[in-house]
Formats: sequence, C-alpha cells, structure tokens
Amino acid sequence: MPTHNDLIAVAPEIILTVAAGVLLLIEAFLPRVRRYASELSALVVLTAAYARIRLDLPGDVWGGMLHIDRVASFVDLYILAAVFLSVWMAGAFLRRSDADHGEFYSLLLLAAVGAMVMASSVDALTLFLGLELLSIPLYALNAFLRRVPISVEAGLKYFIVGAFASAFLVYGFALLYGEAATTNLVTMGARVVEAGGLSPLAAIGVAMVIGGLAFKLALFPVHGWAPDVYQGGPTPVTAFLSVVPKGAALVALLRIVDGMDLLRLSHEWVVAASVVAVASMTLGNVVAIVQRDIKRMLAYSGIAHMGYAMLAIIVAGAEGGAAVLVYLAAYTLMNIGAFAAVALFSESESEPHPISDLAGQGWRRPIVALALTICLFSLAGVPPFFGFTGKFVVFRAAVNGGFVWLAVIGVANSLISAFYYLRVVYVMYMQPEPRRAPAFGRAFSISWVAALSAVGVVVLGLFPTPVLTAAQAAILNLVR
Amino acid sequence: MLNDHLLSLVTLGPAAFALLLALLPARHPRVHRWSALLASLVVFALSCLIWVRFDPNHPGFQLEPPRVDWIPQFGISYHLGVDGISLLLVLLTTLLIPIVILASWTSIDEHVKGFHICLLLLTTGMIGAFVALDLFLFYVFWELMLIPMYFIIGVWGGQRRIYAAVKFVLFTMVGSLLMLVAILYLGWFHHQQTGVWSYGYLDFTSSAPLLEMAGLWSPQALVFLAFGLAFAIKVPMFPFHTWLPDAHVEAPTGGSIILAGVLLKLGTYGFLRFNRALLPDAWDFFVPAILVLAVIGILYGAWVALVQPDIKKLVAYSSVSHLGFVMLGLAAGTVASTQGAILQMVNHGLSTGALFLLVGVIYERRHTRLIAEYGGIAGVVPVYTGVFLLVTLSSIGLPGLNGFVGEFLILAGAWSGHPWAVVGAGLGIIFGAVYMLWMFQRVFWNPLDNEENKDLRDMNPRELLAMVPILVLIVWIGVYPTTFLAPMEAAVRALLVP
Repeated sequence: MPTHNDLIAVAPEIILTVAAGVLLLIEAFLPRVRRYASELSALVVLTAAYARIRLDLPGDVWGGMLHIDRVASFVDLYILAAVFLSVWMAGAFLRRSDADHGEFYSLLLLAAVGAMVMASSVDALTLFLGLELLSIPLYALNAFLRRVPISVEAGLKYFIVGAFASAFLVYGFALLYGEAATTNLVTMGARVVEAGGLSPLAAIGVAMVIGGLAFKLALFPVHGWAPDVYQGGPTPVTAFLSVVPKGAALVALLRIVDGMDLLRLSHEWVVAASVVAVASMTLGNVVAIVQRDIKRMLAYSGIAHMGYAMLAIIVAGAEGGAAVLVYLAAYTLMNIGAFAAVALFSESESEPHPISDLAGQGWRRPIVALALTICLFSLAGVPPFFGFTGKFVVFRAAVNGGFVWLAVIGVANSLISAFYYLRVVYVMYMQPEPRRAPAFGRAFSISWVAALSAVGVVVLGLFPTPVLTAAQAAILNLVR
Repeated sequence: MLNDHLLSLVTLGPAAFALLLALLPARHPRVHRWSALLASLVVFALSCLIWVRFDPNHPGFQLEPPRVDWIPQFGISYHLGVDGISLLLVLLTTLLIPIVILASWTSIDEHVKGFHICLLLLTTGMIGAFVALDLFLFYVFWELMLIPMYFIIGVWGGQRRIYAAVKFVLFTMVGSLLMLVAILYLGWFHHQQTGVWSYGYLDFTSSAPLLEMAGLWSPQALVFLAFGLAFAIKVPMFPFHTWLPDAHVEAPTGGSIILAGVLLKLGTYGFLRFNRALLPDAWDFFVPAILVLAVIGILYGAWVALVQPDIKKLVAYSSVSHLGFVMLGLAAGTVASTQGAILQMVNHGLSTGALFLLVGVIYERRHTRLIAEYGGIAGVVPVYTGVFLLVTLSSIGLPGLNGFVGEFLILAGAWSGHPWAVVGAGLGIIFGAVYMLWMFQRVFWNPLDNEENKDLRDMNPRELLAMVPILVLIVWIGVYPTTFLAPMEAAVRALLVP
C-alpha cells in the first residue's frame, strides 16, 4: 500500500497525469475550452514545477523503486521547463499546421511524466517503465501531422529505433539481474563491485543497458535516426525530443556509471566511452557542416552536444556529475530557443527548412533573429552565453579529472561547430533578402518562447551561480 | 568612491549604453550616431580621469574596483585593475572609439543602429581584456570581441566580407579555445599547489611559474604554446597572419581602425601579460623562436606591402611588419626594449589607425583604393596630402615623430642581447620607408592624369576633427615621450626584474 509519503513525493507526476486525462476529456466534451489547451497545459506544468520546488525530497519512496532526491528534482525542473516552453509554442504552431488537437498536450505531458520517472528511478523496472512512458507518446507525437508524409515517416522511424533501444535495455537488465539477483540499481552496482569487477556476463549486460540509453541520446554509432526524426517531426515536438529524453537518459546513465563506479572498475568503459564521445562530437559537427536544412543541422549538432556531455559522464564523480547537470540545463535552454526560432522561420511543415530561406531575416525580424543568433552562439560555446558555461564546466571537469586530451578534442570540436552555427548567422544578417522572400507567419507565443530562452541564455550565462550551486548540491546526493 | 568604480564604468559603461541604444527605434540613424559619439566621449573623458588618478610610481595594479565573487564555486571573481602596461592601451582604445564613430559618420548608412551597438560592445570587450585580473573574466572579454567584430566585418564590409568575417572568427577561435584549456589547466595546477580554486591573475603569478619546464613537451611549455598561439594569431605573427589582410581590407573603415589600432595590441599585450609574466622559464626557452618569427614578420610584411596595388592592403601588410617590431622588443626583454614595445603598440595604433581612416576618406570619394587610379592629387587635396604625409612619416619612424621613439627604444634595448635581430629589423625600417614613400609618391605626386581625380573634394571638417587628436599625439609622443613612458616604467621594471 503506498503511504502518504509516497504519494506526496510523486505529486508533480500525479498532477501531470491527471491533467493529461482531463485534457482528453476537455477535447471531447468542452469544445469552447479546448482552444486554451496550450495555455492550460502550460499552467499545469507551472503547478507541477511549483509542487516540485515546495515539496520535500524524501529520497527512497515506493519501496525503493523511485529515489526522489535533489538530482531527480533538478532534472524534473529542467524537464518541466522544457515542457513548458514546448507546449507554449505548440498552440500557435498546431493552429498554423491545422492539427489543433488536444491529444497533443496529453501525450506531451505523459511523455514528461515518463522522463521524470526515468530520472528518479533507481530500479531497473521503473527505469524501463519510465523509458516506455516517455517513448510511446513520442512515437505518436512525431507522427502528429498525419497528412505530412515526413512527419509520419519520422514517427515510424522513431518507433522502430525506440523499440530496438527498449529491447537493448531490457535484455541488458535481464543479464544483470541474472548476475546480481536484484533489480535495484544500487544493490546491483554494489554486488558487481563486491564480485571484484565485471564478469563477462555483467559486462555484456552493462554494455547493453548503456547501449539502449545511447539510442535515446543519439550517440555514435546509434545516432542515425536523429536527423530524419528531427526533420520530420512537428517542431515543438522536435524541441522537446531534442532535450527531454536526452536529459532523462543522461541522468539514468550517470546513476549507472556512478553506481558501479565504472571509471575505476573498468578500463574498457573509459576507452569505449571516450571513443563514443569523440566520435559523436566529431561526426556530429563535421556532418552538420554540410547540412542545408536547419533542423537536420540541429540534429547533428545535438549528436555532437551529447558527445560533450559524455565527456563529463566519463569523468563522473561530483565534478563530472555536476557538469552533466549544468550542461543539460544550458543545452535545453539554447536548443529550445533555437527550435522556437526555426518554427517561426518556416512556411509550412510539409516543406523542408532550408537555411538559405533565412536570408535577410536578421533585419526583417530582428527579435527572433537575435534570439536565434544568441542561441546559436551559445551552442557554439561563445561567452558570455550559458552554453559557454556548460562547456566550461565540462572541460574543467575533464581537465581536473586528468583527461586533458579529451578537453582538447572537445575545444577543437567547438571550433568546427562554430563554422556551421556562424553560417546561419551570416545568412540571416549578411545575405540580402531574396526578391521572393518566403512569407513567415508571426506567432506571438512562439516569439515569446524564443525570446525567453535567449534571455535565459544570456542571464544564466552572466550569472551561472544559482544553477551551479543547485547542480553541485544535487550531485552530492548521487555520488556515493 | 569614484576611484572604486571608475574602471568598472569605463569597462562596462559602453556595453550598458549599447543596451540602451538597442531600445531606441532604428528609424533615426542620426540619434544613434550622436548618442554613440556622446557615450564614447564620456568614456574617453572617464579614461582620462583614470590617467589623472593613476600613480606612476606604484608598479602594481591600481584603481581596482571592489572584488566581487562572480562564480564562487570555481573561485572566479569580477576583478579589474590597471597598471602601467595596460593604462596606455586603455587610453588608446577609448581615444580611437570616438574617432571611429566620426570616421563612419557617412560611410555607414545601413543598419546604423546595429553598427553602433556592435562598436560599443566591442569597446567593452577590448577594455575588459586589457584590465581583467581574472583569467576567466579575461577569456570572456576576449571572446566578447569576436561577435561584434564578426558582424562589423560581415555586415558592413566590402566585397568578400563574409569570407573575411568567417576567416577572422575561425582563426581567432583556434587560438582562444586552446587558451581556454590552458587556463583550466592553470586553475587545476593552482589548486594542486595551494588547495584553493582560483583563476585570479595575481594568484597565478605565484603558482604558474612553478609549472615544470623541461623541454618542449613539459607542462609549462605546452601552456605557453596554448596561450602563445592565441596571441600569435591576434598579433599576428608570421606565419599566422593570413587572416589579417582579408579582415583589414574587407572591414569598413571603422572596423579596420579598431582591428589595427586595438585588436592586434591584445595579442602583444597578452604575450607580455601572460606568457612573459606567468611562464618565465618557457618564455626564456621560446625567446629565440619569437625573435626569428618577429624578424621574419618585419621583413616579410614589408616586402609584401611593397608590391600591393591596393593602398588598404599595403597598410594591412605594414601592420605585420610593425607588430614584428613590438614582438622583437618584448622578446629582447630589457626595460628599454619593453617600454619601446609598449609605446610602439600605441604608436602603431595611432599611425595605422590614421592611415586606415585616410584611406577610408579617399575611398568614400572615389570608391577605389588602387594606387594606380591615383597620382598627382597633392595639388587637388592639399590638406589631405599634408595630413597623409605626416602620418606616413610617423609610420616610417622619422625622428621627431612618435614612430621613431618606439623603434629606437626597441632596437637600442635589443642591441646588447640580440644584435643580429636588430640588424634584420633595421633592414625592415629601410623597407618600410621604401614602401610607404613609394606609395605616397605614386598617389600624391606623379602627373595628375586621371580625369576623375581632378575634382576630388578635400577633407571636410568632420574628417579633420577625427584626425586632429591623432596628429597631436603623433607629435607629442615624438617630441616629449616621457609623458607616456613615465607611467609604465615602474610596472615594466617590476615585471622584468621580479
């Protein structure tokens, strides 16, 4: 029987789930209210965030299936921020795309619940449950514009790849369960460590679990789905997809890597993870250079960014863990800002989003273009933006952890990335507007999301202390 | 009270004003021009106040605003200070900004608001990089210069502006990103040594020299190279100079003045402030290499300048040569040569800035910078000719003008230790005279055979107003350099003779 404590601990998740159901009912029975579905969901998300901030963090709840600690709370808040921005821009976007159905918001909120469960799970079962709850709504959401072929294609691709990822994860956990006779990740880690190292069976299990998470992170070599899915999905979903599953998966990964102390336990892990990190960064950045479609470009940039985040995962410990959390926060804000601007700079979802369409928009739409510019410079890691803070803490963790060479590869990659981010900027500001310029619609709410993200990127870049403090305090709960 | 915040005002004031400017509607370019000019004059006046309040006998950092914890987790603080080395460079920066605004008064007629916002942000970046006493803060200011300059070249530049802008950014980032790793490494090393996290410059002066120095692959040498690459690209030293002709030529006049006048100085300043002061053993190890590259730069820059058909490109290459002198003075490492090098940074900022301004003046009238298009215009534009001649003479180091003092101090100071380098550099002076005077002859003398040049307008009062402060300083430094050498002496001595 769940105790009072258990229920209070997951109150934010409960709020979101209930709201998801209510939104479905509204869609069916209250046609006049359904117009405000976007605003309502945003409000619900704010309530959930408020609950997360105000409620205690009891640690183990639900018989040790979930662990609501500061890490979970940090990640929850960042997930909620991402959902908030996504639903806010979704309203105008869906009306424009003629797909204004309330199910969208229900699915998005449910996916957020999945991500939150995943971030706070310390048990293989809840982790898997969270992953599925996160993924299944996203399959539908990606294909939400069902009259647009590439949207349907994106949904299908994401589904097939997601099914693979889940299979990897479950199979890996099955092997680990066979080895450790428990589904609790902490105990599992402890038993593996007690056994004096990874047995071959456990090693395969760990590799498969990490592999399953790597699918969600779109790390090399399982990154192939990202460009197609990003390009095809509705842009608010892409914004959500590009940050929330990655955050949840990174935290799960961090819990596993840190729980088993893989850094010291297994030299192979360090080598393999370094290869994956370096390959993701380099491949993502190099291939992004040749992209003509801005959503595909951002997909490859996302692959590269998860490579940077992997650097911090390799370092692990208090420093690496805090760096992961800070990096996530920065990545979320600048990525969502960029996608919001992309949503504004597009005529219709069935068309591609070529970068060349942005020519001259820097002067025609100064605020949105400036927001996009700030987000892109931030993604490139140029100070004083938040993205620089993220890179700074990651590279700092790498240098302090003795991985100077990884930091050097990381900065070399930042350089490559500057090239393609700058290209968007120069197309916007330095190329003349074509005579037949595409007529981009105006949407107040989407502009707000872009502007708000950009302001956040600047303010948190100049004053990162609150986020750093929160991340450092949070990570102390996680590190053994 | 004012002393406490003077430096912060000068550093952050321009950026704050840029934000204000951003709120004004873009419809009235005149408002933007006038208010930016006013702001830059206020900043200049405040920086003069810094000079007045500055105590020349005190070798350390002065006028430090109260130190504020910025990112206390990492020991990063907002910490500024000015010493004899940075004082003149700050003044040079604040002096050039109003001149740049005047020089761009009519030539920038598109997106006027954006231009002035970029310019003011750039000002904050430049001044901040000169006065930052925390390496993280320094890095932020250093990179802060990148974005506005990218826009200035890319939006308001010439034909190949996008190529030049991207090249400028990528070259600069190559250096600065490795510098970031070096800064992180120094922070880690400081923590190893003392157990305290800090990126403070003054903390590093005690810990960084302790880095192991044994050959090229030892930590101190690698850190030196990481910093050195960033600065060598900025200076630019041969063979890292290839971004410079593109950026200088494609940038609008104002951008070229800033690039040549201030941005390049950040490279030489960085060498002195960080490589020389923090990594003395590695500095000794690398001095021969720096000397060789400096002399190559002097000669190579001069030779390439000699054959340029485009005046602006000629001036751009002359920068490579002049900055070679500065590097020579720094590498020689005597008090005289170092003082000469710092003074020469200022001189180059003045004379090359003036040359770019003058090239801009004539370009605005004829829309060409090719030497062959001109000839014999001395009689048509007498005032312009006179001003140009004075600046040319300053640039080639005529005694009595500023260039001479700097070059003399550098060569005299370097003679005892590195006579061969002085000989090489001396040849460079001769080449310098050749390319400048030859260009002057082809543009201003020779027969006036191009019809279009017959009714060139002479300089107007605005352009003259922009030139006057530079001309005054060119003569002042040439005749009585003590005014400018005195404040830096104590700081230079303290740096070189610990």
